[in-house]
Amino acid sequence: MPISTFMGLQTALSGLEANQEGIQTTSNNIANASTPGYTEETAVMTEDYPLSLPGGMQLGTGVDVASITRASDEYLNNSYRAQNAAASYASTQSTTLNQVQSDLGEPSGTGISSQLASFWSAWNDLANDPTSQAARQTVVDDGTTLAGGLNSLSDQLTAVQSQVAQQYADLTGTGGELQSYANQIATLNGEIAQAQGSGANANQLEDQRDQAINNLSSLGTVSYTDLGGGQLTLDFGGDATPLVSGTTVNWPPTVTSASGGELGALISLSGPGGQIDSYLTDLNNVANALVSTVNTLSPGTPFFNPADTTAANIAVAATASTIQTTTTGNPGANDVALAIANLSGGQADQSYAAFVAQVGNDAQTAQNGQQTSQALLTSISSQVQSVSGVSLDQEMTNLLTYQQGYEASAKVMTAMQNMLNTLITQVGAGL
Amino acid sequence: MERITELMTSQSTISNLNQQLNQLSSTENELSTGLSINQPSDNPYGASLAIQLNGQLSALGSYTGNISDGTAWTSQADSSLMDISDQVQTVQELVVQAANGTSTPAELSADATEVNQLIAGIKQDANAQYDGQYIFSGTDTTTAPYQAGSNDAYQGNSGAVNRTIGPGGTTVQVNTNISQLLGSGQPAGDSLLLNTLRNISQDMQAGNTASLGNDLTSLHSNMATLGQMQANVGSIQDQLQLASTRIENLQTEVQTQLGSTEDVNMAQAMTQYSTEQASYNAALQASASVLQTDSLANFLTG
Repeated sequence: MPISTFMGLQTALSGLEANQEGIQTTSNNIANASTPGYTEETAVMTEDYPLSLPGGMQLGTGVDVASITRASDEYLNNSYRAQNAAASYASTQSTTLNQVQSDLGEPSGTGISSQLASFWSAWNDLANDPTSQAARQTVVDDGTTLAGGLNSLSDQLTAVQSQVAQQYADLTGTGGELQSYANQIATLNGEIAQAQGSGANANQLEDQRDQAINNLSSLGTVSYTDLGGGQLTLDFGGDATPLVSGTTVNWPPTVTSASGGELGALISLSGPGGQIDSYLTDLNNVANALVSTVNTLSPGTPFFNPADTTAANIAVAATASTIQTTTTGNPGANDVALAIANLSGGQADQSYAAFVAQVGNDAQTAQNGQQTSQALLTSISSQVQSVSGVSLDQEMTNLLTYQQGYEASAKVMTAMQNMLNTLITQVGAGL
Repeated sequence: MERITELMTSQSTISNLNQQLNQLSSTENELSTGLSINQPSDNPYGASLAIQLNGQLSALGSYTGNISDGTAWTSQADSSLMDISDQVQTVQELVVQAANGTSTPAELSADATEVNQLIAGIKQDANAQYDGQYIFSGTDTTTAPYQAGSNDAYQGNSGAVNRTIGPGGTTVQVNTNISQLLGSGQPAGDSLLLNTLRNISQDMQAGNTASLGNDLTSLHSNMATLGQMQANVGSIQDQLQLASTRIENLQTEVQTQLGSTEDVNMAQAMTQYSTEQASYNAALQASASVLQTDSLANFLTG
């Protein structure tokens, strides 16, 4: 069977076109080498459908770019997202707990512990000199400083708590990050479905959707099911209702401390019965111990206002003239002052030291968690980059290959042209 | 073989440099504060221990203050009792002389006057003060124990003035109940020193030398009480001295423990710092050259 005279031209043309697409893909890879979320693309070339010749022979008809694929590994992407949620949880915890422990100002000469020590030592000085007005005033002043120290530490903890709660509200509120990522993913679901439905390439949209899911994973744990047709269902934070199903966003989602990520950490810190709440309880126990132990020993006007037994409102009720150093009424007797000075190292001091140790332990755990999860995240991110990132060396090699392929195809075309020229001018010269 | 991409290299470079710089800054913080625990999370148990040890140190400081205050009280008491003892000696000599029966009524009268003056001196000694507090008034420290003049009644009480001298509320009584020595004079008829001295003065004035023998016996018994009282003050001073030594030892012990808990081991930290600095510098240098490494693009021509 004869073949078309011009068939070779078409074959060479397919080579030119395919290599041109290859060069375009390479050029796009190089241009996006440092674009976040960009996934390396490859022009997948396949042989064109061959021409069957009699005798069972097949004649190749050139090359075709079947698709441009993304070098994306779903397994790695999912590990990255899981680790991103864990790292984000740990980092939020660590940042907040560091703030809490720096508010304590321990161990140093400025924290509550040194104020407690000054307070007990002032009582001791008063015991040595029960008739001294100056010693009485010092007891009242040191007591006021201590109560003020507890008040302001309690205020600081409450401020951290509400700041964390505000951060949570901002992220989860209408128009916040969570909703905006969910909307983005739902919109992209629709666009990808439409693009794929019309047979078009949706690589760029898929990159965007992957990036949006990555961003979402820093807020909480994510998982998704591919619905086919370019759409997916996205579960967020272990919530039973999917956050995004196809093009629908189920708003608002239920977020708990088990949701992981930044939101899970924020809830576990600031929520009712959360870590900051438990610190406030610990601090209230210190204040309560102080009020009850000192007041029990003070005859007459209680030293601390008996109604105010929390760290937030503890206050000194006594004045220099109402303080009694003794139950006997003798001016030089110091039994009360001695007994109160002996509270040094007692319940209040011990509760406070235990509280500091608790905060320290929590902050240390959070810091260690942050370091570990950050290291793991870097390592997974590196694996993702290894698969999906752009290697310039590889791109340059591809560029060279495509360029040579293009030149060779052009050469074939020139050969064909010469061949046809010969045919037409030599063979057909007499026509 | 793993595929290495440009972004991988720059990401891991940033992450590694960050980690090294973090470590370097934490060591630098330790060196500049001299403390290995700058935040509770550096060592939670250590931080709480340091807080407790600092509290103990503050309490030990208070005990030291209490001991020196107590020592001042007892020294004052000691010197007052010594003065009283000297004056009682003088009275004793006068009584022995008068009891001989060789003195003229005029001489006896002069002796009586001297005894009265000595009584006033003894009462003045009993009114000794430390830091504005009457040390012999029991806990009634704002009232002088004896009034000048003929009223010999003890004005104070028998309350104990205590000082805490060690952990666990160990206290010691630093005052002395002088009314057990001086008593409340003739109206009380308690045969204590002021009563005896007033009797002596009265007997001398009246020339009643026969009674002076009895008075002398009383006086000897009073002097024995005085001796006991002085010995007692001395033993309190010994107790305070011992407590002071013990507190000093405790302070050294707690200080050592605190030091080993929160102080940085300078030699170790300096070595660590130099090592970290060197490796950070090396990392910077290596990163700079890795990030500048050419790709294939630089070698392709045309």
